[in-house]
Amino acid sequence: MKDFARRMVGIDRRIIFLLITAAILLPMLKPFGLPIKVSPEVKAVYDYIEAMPERSVFLLSFDFDPSSKPELEPQAVALLRHAFRKNLRVIGMTHWLTGTGLADGVFSAVAAETGKERGKDYAFLGWSPGGGALIISMGQDLYKAFPSDYSKTPTQGMPVLEGVRNLRDVNYMVSLAAGGSGIEMWYVFGKDKYRFEMAGGSTGVIAPGLYPFLRSGQINGLIGGLQGAAEYETLIGQKGMATAGMDAQSAAHFVIIALVLLCNVFYFMLRGEQGRPR
Amino acid sequence: MPEAMLPTEVVLGAWVAAGLTLFIYSFLYKDNPLFKLGEHLYVGISVGYSVVLAWHTVFLRLLWEPLQKAVGEAPASPDSYVLLIPATLGVFMLTRFIPQISWLSRIAFAFVVGFGSGVAIPRTISSYILKQIEDTVNPLLTMGAGGLTMGFDLAAPQSGVNTIILLVGVVSVLFYFFFSVEHTGAGMVTARTGIYFLMIAFGAAFGYTVMSRMSLLIGRFRDLITFAGAAYGYATLVLLAVTVLSLVGWELATRRKTGGASPE
Repeated sequence: MKDFARRMVGIDRRIIFLLITAAILLPMLKPFGLPIKVSPEVKAVYDYIEAMPERSVFLLSFDFDPSSKPELEPQAVALLRHAFRKNLRVIGMTHWLTGTGLADGVFSAVAAETGKERGKDYAFLGWSPGGGALIISMGQDLYKAFPSDYSKTPTQGMPVLEGVRNLRDVNYMVSLAAGGSGIEMWYVFGKDKYRFEMAGGSTGVIAPGLYPFLRSGQINGLIGGLQGAAEYETLIGQKGMATAGMDAQSAAHFVIIALVLLCNVFYFMLRGEQGRPR
Repeated sequence: MPEAMLPTEVVLGAWVAAGLTLFIYSFLYKDNPLFKLGEHLYVGISVGYSVVLAWHTVFLRLLWEPLQKAVGEAPASPDSYVLLIPATLGVFMLTRFIPQISWLSRIAFAFVVGFGSGVAIPRTISSYILKQIEDTVNPLLTMGAGGLTMGFDLAAPQSGVNTIILLVGVVSVLFYFFFSVEHTGAGMVTARTGIYFLMIAFGAAFGYTVMSRMSLLIGRFRDLITFAGAAYGYATLVLLAVTVLSLVGWELATRRKTGGASPE
């Protein structure tokens, strides 16, 4: 038995890679449809948008780039579908330079799908430098911070921005963040100063660090990772990329948990052997 | 029914994406020239894309075009030239590359540090310290219709029992990082409690990180499965075969060169 444990502890890591690949690939090719339970933090975002009157102003900040696309794009698509269905006026922007093209693509695709018009129903402002300073500038005068949108159309006089002077006129904002220049920055320089309600959508990596903000009410909801996106898709009743990936996610987690448990069993079996950890 | 024809640029993009994904994943076998190619292309394209976008957005849209417009409308007004101040500070930053006048960059850095600190410090204290302390010290008992009650619901964030857990966690973790007193007796118990809280936090963070990495893998696999379709010219399947054959060829060639030893 100890021989087996010894061989297992020294197993070629590429076998583990193959196991994970199989665990992800098989459910993607043949899904088994595990149920998705909606968490209160995701429901809070949905409920807030659901309660907003038509033509309210919804600001969606794409604070990520293509390296976080698999987690945050499904969140963006689900939120935009919901906002457009509710006939909200949507303003989009990004703090991440390398995410500009991706964000514009998502906006255009969801707008085309829902029959919404650029300039009338939504505006994508693009990227501008400054981070926190840009948020403060938007809080003072949106048109000075973004004199034109991503397609170089002047923002002044855009029907979608009618009555919007600065961040105080935004009814709700969600930052989809893959790092520091996102939810926390929007809270610190935006919500705390200009008093609009906000929520966050984040990658799984940064989600645990955002729970203190959720608990204290600094953000009113949190969509965490692909799981959060799948929950939001369930809420809007339009299953998409995230829901399709949930079976694979569960299968991969199952394999990882099994490997961790097995590794611990082998570790304890070999404890005390020469050259082995004690 | 035949599938709708996709635009050439979409199909081409799919071939590039599928190829580069497979090249990067070939590292899981071992470091190889295909991985190196993918890695270098990623770095080069990211930098090139950022430079072009920054040029158009920052230099042209935020500086050149407004300056041109303002000077064209009121050439005599000093206000028309106000954008030259940040532009000059920006040029000062670049003097770092010329040792004789690199001291000029300190002016620009002083402005950035001064402005940044002034803006960030009060806001950070308010958001990260005051608001968080406020939430840490919640009332234990609440006045309801039936008098004073304490919540025992672990699922309710503001319940009394969660308030106690939060307070114990904050105090014990802070004590663990308090090194001026030796951690013995009651101090050791408190510090140990702090370690347990930290371990739980690290475990949660690691769990979320694993979830996140698996999501990224799922995302790439989703694209690879899509690009394996006839509409994309079976890009994934063809490129997978090319990648595997290239790796086999590279492995054999290297072994021949090194006299039978693996490249690693």
